[in-house]
Amino acid sequence: MTASDQIGSVTPVRRRPYGLLLVATPVLLVAWLVIWPIISAVIQTVWTTTPQGQGAVSLDTYSFFFSDGYSLSNLSMTLWTTGVCAVLLLVVCLPIALYLRFSNTRVAVYVQGLAIFPMFVPSIILSFAFIRVLGPNGTVDLLLNSVGLPHIRSPYLTPWGPVIGLVWDNIPLTVLILLSGLGSVSNQAVEAARDVGAGTLALLWHIILPRISNSILVAISFAVLGIFSAFTLPYILGPAAPEMMGPFMQRTFRELLEPKTAITQAVVTFGFCIVFGLFYVRSVAKNRAA
Amino acid sequence: MSVLKIKDVSKIFPNGTTAVDSFSLDVADGELVCLLGPSGSGKSTLLRMVGGFETPTSGLMTIDGEDITNVPPEKRPTGMVFQSHALWTHMNVFKNLAFGLKLRKVAAPEIKRRVEGVLELVGLGGYGTRAVTQLSGGQQQRVALARSLVLEPKILLLDEPFASLDQHLRERLREEVRDIQQRLKITTLFVTHGQDEALSMADRIVVMRDGKTEQIDRPDVVYREPQTPFVAGFIGTMNLIEGVVSNGVFSKAGYSTPLPVSDGPAILAVRPEALDLTASTTGQGKVHRVTDYGTHGLVDLELKDGTRVKAMVSHPDLFQPGQGVSLAPRAIAAYRDGKVIHRTSAVAPAPHPALVDA
Repeated sequence: MTASDQIGSVTPVRRRPYGLLLVATPVLLVAWLVIWPIISAVIQTVWTTTPQGQGAVSLDTYSFFFSDGYSLSNLSMTLWTTGVCAVLLLVVCLPIALYLRFSNTRVAVYVQGLAIFPMFVPSIILSFAFIRVLGPNGTVDLLLNSVGLPHIRSPYLTPWGPVIGLVWDNIPLTVLILLSGLGSVSNQAVEAARDVGAGTLALLWHIILPRISNSILVAISFAVLGIFSAFTLPYILGPAAPEMMGPFMQRTFRELLEPKTAITQAVVTFGFCIVFGLFYVRSVAKNRAA
Repeated sequence: MSVLKIKDVSKIFPNGTTAVDSFSLDVADGELVCLLGPSGSGKSTLLRMVGGFETPTSGLMTIDGEDITNVPPEKRPTGMVFQSHALWTHMNVFKNLAFGLKLRKVAAPEIKRRVEGVLELVGLGGYGTRAVTQLSGGQQQRVALARSLVLEPKILLLDEPFASLDQHLRERLREEVRDIQQRLKITTLFVTHGQDEALSMADRIVVMRDGKTEQIDRPDVVYREPQTPFVAGFIGTMNLIEGVVSNGVFSKAGYSTPLPVSDGPAILAVRPEALDLTASTTGQGKVHRVTDYGTHGLVDLELKDGTRVKAMVSHPDLFQPGQGVSLAPRAIAAYRDGKVIHRTSAVAPAPHPALVDA
């Protein structure tokens, strides 16, 4: 038998579509419950019926949103809250994650428990606790009053109310994502940096942060996606006006009975969220490529 | 001139484990000392204490007379090469090497000159712009070595640097590292559990066991004159036969040989290469297995009670499994209570240059 005969006799491997079958169900569900509603929402907002009863494409609802002062102030309030929360989350969670990663003490176990605890507390209970502690005549006020000090300026029903609540609510997920990123920074890489003379700040800036930049991006993307469209905490703790996009959409739909305007607000919110979603997807793709 | 002195250093971990127990060692200028021992012998802990990554529970460590016992690693004049390379994958080769120099605020042209110089030294000239992930295991280890050398440390610490490499690469790299170390005359402390590495590279070997020193000597002395049964068994292949001495004769399961020591139990130590075999139907042992290594053969014998003994032979084809053989050791040592009590061959102990001043 010649070499060419042998090559010719090799049976080609048939690629079986088992992998595709495994992902088929979730892909179909995502298409049905996520992709289609998005497409449907966009169509509903741009498709209008003329007085003559004919269908036409119109961007009137978007024109209204981006020219209406109240809608824009709600959007900017949402962007402000999201930005402040993202910064605060990083400032609060990075030290916690660093401590948990590099500490070997028993205290670290309890700190981890405390950091993850908010994950198990429903937002509604968190809101109630917030009001009881930081609200007017809350625990802090009572304590201050008992020692003759003046009342605090309560953040309840101010823009800082949702900020405090949302930061508290997002600490667990952010800490967990950062902690998983820090897991890829080996002790020896840290020791090697110290060995060549890196102090704490140089170590953080030149070795640790560049190694977890992807995790920071993922953590912030997740937090921003959740915060931008948050409802419960901004609804209960935030001011009546301007309000965040979540309560704004709900009120437009339920109280003003303007479903098309509410859907337009949802599409605009989705537009902003998808930018951060793309950051996340890019980060995952980068990780996979690496 | 860089001399490392370790005096009565101990390390007891919070869980009560004693990793290093009253260890003392002087490493002379330009000397390469190997810390050799099995896992858990405390050699890595000791190296990490010298590097500043562990704090000794007690004892003193000095470099050129300066106390470094409690100095943090970033302020020590030491450079460490880690087992897993520990390169920073977000930096290219040049940046990995330049990082320490930048922290010392060395001028950019000087950084470039020193980094390129050290890359040439380790045989990686022109590799500066490569990502470290694009390098092979051996190249990565060279970069790790260069990263330490570029800072011109007084003491170079090597923590099993070749453990993750294949045998061929390991042999090549250890020769290169030894060449570089001798060229730069840098005082070096090297941890390994590979006896071949220690024997081929070290000026002196420290054999450690349970955090303590078993023996400190030149490689040839450690091999030929092991002071304890542990060292005898750990360095190279050694037949350790437990038996009894009576009237100047050592006996074990039908095998006997003259041993001029007092009566009592003893451990007879014979290297396979010092054991001659002759075929004999009334021999003391029986061939169990013969392995031909090409350059020599190794005959695995069984004494009458099943004790296994190895002998190196130049013609393995002369022996067959099941064949009776007589044993004739050319050089023996005997141990009792963990100490050597008799030796028939000895290496002339020449004082090591490093020890002359001491």
